[in-house]
Amino acid sequence: MELLLAKYNYWIYALIMMIGLYGMLAKNNLIKKIIGMGIFQTGIIVFYVSTGAKRGGTIPIIEHGHGEEVHEVIKALDYVNPLPHVLMLTAIVVSVGTLGVALAIALRIYTEYNTLHEDEILERVND
Amino acid sequence: MIDTTQFPALIVVIPLLSAFIVCMAGCFNRRLCQPLTVLALAGSCWASFATLGQVVKSGAIHYRLGGWAPPMGIEYVIDHLNGLVLVVITTVALLAAVFAKISVAEELPTRINLFYTLYLLLVTGLLGMTITGDAFNLYVLLEISALTTYALITIGQPRALHASFNYLMIGTIGASLYLLGVGHLYIMTGSLNIADLAVILPELYSSRAILVAFILIMVGIWAKMAFFPMHSWLPNAYTYAPNGTSCLIAPLMTKVSVYIMLRVMFSLFTPAYVYQYLSMANAIVWLAVIAIISGSLLALAQKDFKKMLTYLIIAEVGYMVGGAWLANEYGITGAILHILNDALMTLCLFLAAGAIIYKVGGQQLTDLKGIFHRMPVTMTAFMVGALSMIGVPPTAGFFSKWYLILGGIQAARWEFVTALLFSSLVNAVLFFRIIEIGYFETPEDKGVNEAPLSMLAPLLLVAVSLVVVGIYSGDIVSTIIQYAVPKGI
Amino acid sequence: MIWQIDIMILTLIVICGLFAISVKDLLGAAVVFGAYSFLMCLLWTEMGAVDVAFTEAAVGAGVSTVLFFAAVHRSSRQVKARVSGAMLYKGLGLLASGLMGGVLFYASTDFPDWADPASPASSHLSPHFITQTIAETSVPNIVTSVLADYRGFDTMFETAVVLTAGLAVLIILRLGGCRTAGPIREKNAAIQAAYKDSIIRFVTRMVVPFMQLFALYVVAHGHHSPGGGFQGGVILGASFILLAISYDLKMALNRINEKAALLLANTGVLIYGGIGFLCLLLGANFLDYSILHRILPATDEIAARSHAMLGVEIGVALTVMVIVMIIYNNIVSNGSYEKGL
Repeated sequence: MELLLAKYNYWIYALIMMIGLYGMLAKNNLIKKIIGMGIFQTGIIVFYVSTGAKRGGTIPIIEHGHGEEVHEVIKALDYVNPLPHVLMLTAIVVSVGTLGVALAIALRIYTEYNTLHEDEILERVND
Repeated sequence: MIDTTQFPALIVVIPLLSAFIVCMAGCFNRRLCQPLTVLALAGSCWASFATLGQVVKSGAIHYRLGGWAPPMGIEYVIDHLNGLVLVVITTVALLAAVFAKISVAEELPTRINLFYTLYLLLVTGLLGMTITGDAFNLYVLLEISALTTYALITIGQPRALHASFNYLMIGTIGASLYLLGVGHLYIMTGSLNIADLAVILPELYSSRAILVAFILIMVGIWAKMAFFPMHSWLPNAYTYAPNGTSCLIAPLMTKVSVYIMLRVMFSLFTPAYVYQYLSMANAIVWLAVIAIISGSLLALAQKDFKKMLTYLIIAEVGYMVGGAWLANEYGITGAILHILNDALMTLCLFLAAGAIIYKVGGQQLTDLKGIFHRMPVTMTAFMVGALSMIGVPPTAGFFSKWYLILGGIQAARWEFVTALLFSSLVNAVLFFRIIEIGYFETPEDKGVNEAPLSMLAPLLLVAVSLVVVGIYSGDIVSTIIQYAVPKGI
Repeated sequence: MIWQIDIMILTLIVICGLFAISVKDLLGAAVVFGAYSFLMCLLWTEMGAVDVAFTEAAVGAGVSTVLFFAAVHRSSRQVKARVSGAMLYKGLGLLASGLMGGVLFYASTDFPDWADPASPASSHLSPHFITQTIAETSVPNIVTSVLADYRGFDTMFETAVVLTAGLAVLIILRLGGCRTAGPIREKNAAIQAAYKDSIIRFVTRMVVPFMQLFALYVVAHGHHSPGGGFQGGVILGASFILLAISYDLKMALNRINEKAALLLANTGVLIYGGIGFLCLLLGANFLDYSILHRILPATDEIAARSHAMLGVEIGVALTVMVIVMIIYNNIVSNGSYEKGL
C-alpha cells in the first residue's frame, strides 16, 4: 500500500505515455494519431505536476490580507511547489499549438488526397 | 545606451522582435518583408561575431535574463562552443535570406509576409536553443523552431504534406522525450539550470533515473537530428519543401541538434560519465557507421538531385555523432569543426540546387543535361561544395574529415574510418556523375542562362568561404575549438 | 492532496485514454478526448496546481475539443483499419511503447515518493520562490510571479509559440495573406442565410459580454488568484468562437477581420518583447522590470515588477485571444472563411 501510494502517479503517467505512443505509431487515421499525440503530451504533464505535489501543502498562492495587515512568515512547507506548474503551463500551450498545426496539415492532406487514412495516402503518393 | 554586455540578448531579441515587425509591415507593403528580414539578420550576425570576439578574448560570458541570478532565473551562457555555432547560424541564415528573395517571390507569391515572419522565428528558435543555459528554455525554443519548420515544409510541393505530417509526429516525440528527460533530471535534483545541474548531478550518477534521463534526452535529440534509425522523415520533408525553406533548414537544423547533443554530453553530464560509466559508446559508433553507409548508398540510388543531397545530410549526421562518441580529442574536434564546415557546404550545395531548380524548373538528374554550359558560375560554386563534401584539400570538408579519421585511428575504430573513406568514395562517384551529365551531355538550348545576382552573390560568398575556412581551419581549431573540447578525456 | 481521489481520477484517465484511441468514430473520439481533458483538469486541482487546471480547462478541454470537432466536420468521421500490414504497425507500436514504458518504470523505482515534502524538487529551488515572491515581486500568486518574472523569458517565447502556431495554420490553410482576403463585409445577407436558432442566438448574445468581462477579470486579477494572460486570452478567444458557432463565421470576422487579427496578434507579443527591450534601453538586462521604476510614476523597484507583469499579461492575452480565433476560423472553414460549423 505504501509503495502503491508513493509510486502510483509515476506508474500511471508511464501508462498514459505508452497509450499515446501506441496511438501515434500504430493508428491508421491521421486524426487518431493526433489524439495519440495529445495523450502522449499530457502524460508528461502528469509527470511534472506530480513532482510538484507536496503532502500538507496548499495551492501556491500566498495568503495575504488587504490594507495594512502584515504578511506572516511564509513557510515553504505550506505551499506546493509552483515551478512545475509554470513549466506545464508552457507545455500545455505548446501542445495546443502543435495540435492546431497538426490538424491544419491533416486538413490539407484531406483536401489533397480526399482521405485521412495513412495507407490510402501512401498509395496515392506513390502512384 | 546599449553596451557590449547586452549583445548576448540582442543576438536573439533582434530577430524575434523583427519577426513581428515584418509580419505587421507585410500587411501594408509586401516588398518591405525581405529587406527587413535581411537587415534584422545582419544585426544579429554582427552581434554574434562581436560576442564570439569577446569570448575568444576573455572567456565565457554569462547573461542574466530579467536580472535574476541563476538558478532562479534563466541565464545565457556563451562559451567557445556555442559562440562558434551562433556565428554559423546567423551567417547561414543571413545568406539564405538574401538568396530566398527571388525563389520565394516565385514559389509563394501570396504568402511572402508570413514566410519571412516564420523564417525569422525559426532563426530565433535555433539561436535561442544554442545560446541558452537553461534546460527548459531550450525545450520552448525547440518547439518554436519545430512548429515553424513544419509550416515552412508543408507549403512546398503536394508531396511535402504527408512528409511534414510524419515529421510533426517524430518531431513531437523527440521534443517530448527531451522534455521528459529534463523532467527526470528535475525530479532528482530540483534544478533546471545546466550549470547548476552539472554541479549536483555527479553525486547521483549511480541513480537509475539519471541514466534514464540521459537516454531520453539523447533519443529525443537523435529523433530531431534524423540519426539512424530515426532518419526516415528527413529526405521527403527536405526534398519537397520550398527552396527558400530547404536552404535554411538543411544546413542548420541537424547541426544545431548535434550542438545540443555535445552540450548535453559535456556540459550537463561529464565526459567521464558519458564515456566510461555508460558502456554505450561502442554501439553508437556502430549506429553512426550504419548511418554513414546507408545514407551514402541511398544517395547513390536517387534520380532526384535534391533528394540525393538530403540523403547526404543523413550520412553527415553520422559523421558528427560518430566523431563525438569516439571519446577522444581528435574525434570531438572533428565533430565540432564539422558543424561549421558541414553547415557551409550543405548551404553551398542547396543554394546551387535552388538556383538550378529556379532556372531549369525540375529537380531530376536528367534535367541537368549541359548545365555547366548554361550556368557556369553556379556550377563552379556547386563543384566547390561538392569537392568539400568529398573531402578534397584545401576545401573545408577535408580538414574536419581529417580530424575525424585521426580520431577513428586513435580510438582504433576501424569500422568508422572505413565508413568515412567509403562515404568519400561514394560522394566522389555521385558528383562525378553530375559532372558527366552536366558537362558532357549536350543541352537542348545552348545559351548561357545564369541565375540572378541576388542568388549568385550568396552562393559565391559561401563557395569562397569554404576555401577560406579550409585554409584557416588550423587557426579556428587553435583559437576556438580547442577550448570547446572538454578537458581530461 | 487526497490520495483516494488521486487514484480514482488517474484510473479513469487511463480508461478514457484507451477509449479515445480505440473508438471507431472520430467525433466520438473527440468527445472522449474532451472528457479526458476534464479529468486531467480535476487531477491538477486535486494536486494543487490550480493555474494548470485553469489552463487545461480553457485550452485542453475547451479549445482543443472545438478544434477537433471543426477538423472532423471539415473532413470525415470515418475510421478505417489498414488493409494490409496492420499487424506490422501494431507490433511496431506495441514494441516501441513497451520499450519506452519499461524504461520509464525502471526509472520510477528511483524517484522520491510522490508528494514527499523533502524531495529534491520541493527543496532546491521552490522554497526560494515561495518565500521570496512577496518580498521580491509583491505578487502573491507564485505561479504568476515565476511565470512572468523569474522565468519571464520562457513565457515570452511561449507567447511566440502561440503566435507561431497561428501563423503556421494561416500559411498552411489560407492561400492568401491578409492582402488577398476575400470580401467579408456583406453582413446581413450571410447571417440570414445561415441556420437560425433564436434561442441559441439570444443566449449567446446575453452570455458573450459576461464571458468577456470575466476574461478581463482573469487577466487583471492573475496576480492574486489563478489565472493570467493565457487563461484570459483563451476565454476571450472562446467568446468569439461562440459567436462564430451560434451565428456565422462572418459574424465573428466582422468583429475582427483578418488584417486586424494579424496586427493585434503581433502587437501582443510586441508589447511583451517591447517591455523587455525597454528595460534593455534603460540600461538593465533584457526583461529586468525593476529598472522601469524610473519611468513609472510612484513606484519602487518591487512595485515596478508587479506592474510590468500586468503589462506583459495583457500582451499575452491579446495574442492568445486572436490566435485562438485564427486557428479556429481557418480549421473550421478549411482556410476559405466561407462557412463554419
